[in-house]
Amino acid sequence: MTTASNPASESRRAARTARRASGPAFAVGPDVTPDGTTAETVPAIAAGVDTPAGRGRGPSERNRPLWMLIPGGLLMVIVIIVPLLLGIYMSLLDLDQYTLRQWIEAPFIAFANYVEAVTSTNLFHGVWLSVSYSFISTIIAMPIGIAAAVATQNAFKGRAVVRSVFLIPYVLPSFVVATVWRTMFQPGGIVEHGFKFFGADPGLFLNGPNTYWTLIFVQIWASWPFIYLLALAGLQSVDHEVHEASALDGALWWTKLRYVVFPYLKGPVSLAFIIGMLNHINNFTLPFVLFGIPAPHDVELLPVLTYVTSFQSFRFGLSAAMAVVSLILIAIPLFVYLRAVKLDDAETPGGRK
Amino acid sequence: MRFGTKAVMASIATAAALALSACGGGSSSGGSSSSGGAVNGAGKTLDVLVNVNTAYPEQQKQWMADITTKFKQQTGADLKFETFTSANDELTRIQTSVVSGQGPDVYSLGTTFTPTAYATKAFVTLSDDDWKKIGGKDRFNQNALGISGPDKDHLAGIPFVSRPFVMAYNKDLLKAAGIDAPATTWDGLAEQAKKLTDPSKGQYGMAIAYKDNFDPWKYIWAMSVQAGNNLVDGKTAKLNDPAVKKAYQTYFGWLTNDKVVNPASVGWSNSQALAEFAAGKAGYFLMTSSGSIPTLDKSPLAGKWDYALMPTAAPGDSSPKSGATPAASILSGDNLVVANYSKNKDLAFAYVNLVTSKDEQLNYQKIFGDLPANADALASLQSAPHMAALTDAAKKSYATPFTGAWGDIQLALLNVTVQSIPDLSNGNVPDAALSQRIQDAQNKSQQSLDRAK
Repeated sequence: MTTASNPASESRRAARTARRASGPAFAVGPDVTPDGTTAETVPAIAAGVDTPAGRGRGPSERNRPLWMLIPGGLLMVIVIIVPLLLGIYMSLLDLDQYTLRQWIEAPFIAFANYVEAVTSTNLFHGVWLSVSYSFISTIIAMPIGIAAAVATQNAFKGRAVVRSVFLIPYVLPSFVVATVWRTMFQPGGIVEHGFKFFGADPGLFLNGPNTYWTLIFVQIWASWPFIYLLALAGLQSVDHEVHEASALDGALWWTKLRYVVFPYLKGPVSLAFIIGMLNHINNFTLPFVLFGIPAPHDVELLPVLTYVTSFQSFRFGLSAAMAVVSLILIAIPLFVYLRAVKLDDAETPGGRK
Repeated sequence: MRFGTKAVMASIATAAALALSACGGGSSSGGSSSSGGAVNGAGKTLDVLVNVNTAYPEQQKQWMADITTKFKQQTGADLKFETFTSANDELTRIQTSVVSGQGPDVYSLGTTFTPTAYATKAFVTLSDDDWKKIGGKDRFNQNALGISGPDKDHLAGIPFVSRPFVMAYNKDLLKAAGIDAPATTWDGLAEQAKKLTDPSKGQYGMAIAYKDNFDPWKYIWAMSVQAGNNLVDGKTAKLNDPAVKKAYQTYFGWLTNDKVVNPASVGWSNSQALAEFAAGKAGYFLMTSSGSIPTLDKSPLAGKWDYALMPTAAPGDSSPKSGATPAASILSGDNLVVANYSKNKDLAFAYVNLVTSKDEQLNYQKIFGDLPANADALASLQSAPHMAALTDAAKKSYATPFTGAWGDIQLALLNVTVQSIPDLSNGNVPDAALSQRIQDAQNKSQQSLDRAK
């Protein structure tokens, strides 16, 4: 499906292959790419300007000016690597309110925090809740977002208004969303009245087993527009000719959608899926505002658990260990997923040379 | 590694804060010279961290400006106020300051947070000389000193204001039900509440906030200490004591057995319970403080309500138990602490001396409603409207156990209520489930106490 999902990069790859085939030094012959555009211009100009030593090679292979990465790399080390290493180091310390003052000298206890995190906290329960809730809300939000994008794809009167309305849940701050829904889900609140009108007694929404579904519901409400946005972006990239061609072939709307349009959406939507998942796993504001601290057992999510361990119990070492464990637990499937959908190298086909 | 979880971000943020502040190093230098009585702080600046007052933001700015002027007159030094918005904010601030050894000279701390702050050893334990600089220990309401340190000789927190808890009652409803005076025992209160309840009119005996993030553990603590169980005995947690279970049963029983509470209250926070009371739909509103005066005086209930002490006799008892603590309220309010790393300690004490003086304390009470910690100032307020019960409660407030583990214990107590709310809503909290939850709380508390140093 790569051909369909990424026509632009595909043609670039073809151009590069063609260029390489025509000799490393000078690429003068007009390379005609599959989609009919001529690719000769770029190397030709480069050849005219470059000094003889480096000409024609382009910025791709050897002699890449890697040193130019130094500022960015340095920044990455300071902003990401150093804190991460510090976090890992912290997870090996007995760091709490009693040792915080001289935290460098906090007792080194190796993996005791990890043992405690795994054996006597609700860590796995938290990870399971976080991942499952994220997965369910993302999966349900996807068809809603895609349907909304398809529905507003063709111009109609008032489309701009509808599109703006769709974005309202997304632009509202999480805190506001949670506060509004908490008010509605309260005992004696509007949602309960709604259920009672139909003769159902749903019980409590903000405590007990229903909380999990309440959270999923509010999360979907707040996050489907994100999928919608990315799906919309994907739809914009569908070539007009493709629509015409399929219409000429007599494809009906569903066939067209399934075999022509959806392949274009695969990239953006799998991206939306992964970003959505990560956002949900990281979401602290929503459960915190909806359910408060301490959280009901059914929504004792990972971020909430870590927050309580860090800032209510002041066990910084333990919470760092919990964070590292959950990072590993979540990073593995994530890595597999990224490999599977080839999101991480879709933009640089053949980039590794 | 950009796929960090929130958790990782939290620890990264903490780590980064620690790292950055550790690199900071000391910049300000020079000790303040105190010669004799007056402190000469010309050219120096004292840094004070206070919580932002969201109810009276303008007044707070004005108060800060006034104090700055007065402080300049007295010492010649400048004052710089910084504010924090939440306890979490403050904790972060303390963490970074503690690690780096620089930051505010004086902090304002919530009382229940004082043991935790004390455990960091970052604040000055006052010597006799230090006390003299701020007018002596006798200057303060002695009960307010109860949570300033682990024992009488090791006090770090200087009481600044008190916010004792009381209950409000609706005079009209009580009169209509033929009740002369508010109850002084929990059993008596439940009886009165039954008389005040009339579900057909949507009227209930008490407004209780079962879903509040703080309220529930205060009831359990109060009823337990009144029964003679202080929850913590040295290094031992005593949550599995029958008194604690009895407290929970009483607290939940108002809804499940006595049916004197609006069933919707399983979802209420303190402010929602206050709204219910202010609408005239409840006879009593428990666990409130002077902060509710403005709301009540603006409500239709204005002039028809007053405060009373909460019961001090444990459930099942007809009078306060001898030997037990007759606590009417937790010791609540703000303490001031001086940072150990401060290079302006004398100036800091001069500031504390200024703001805990009788006049300043009364002025503060007038503006913000918080009760004075200054004993004279407190005594002079007794006759003001609604103040009788409040000042009385301030003197009958007792400290929660002074241990760094208290934060965890408080959370564990609260968690019992949170996990019981579904049962509560169904009208019955099963005995076995309650015992199990209390046992969980006991285990968590004991674990935390074992770590306490």
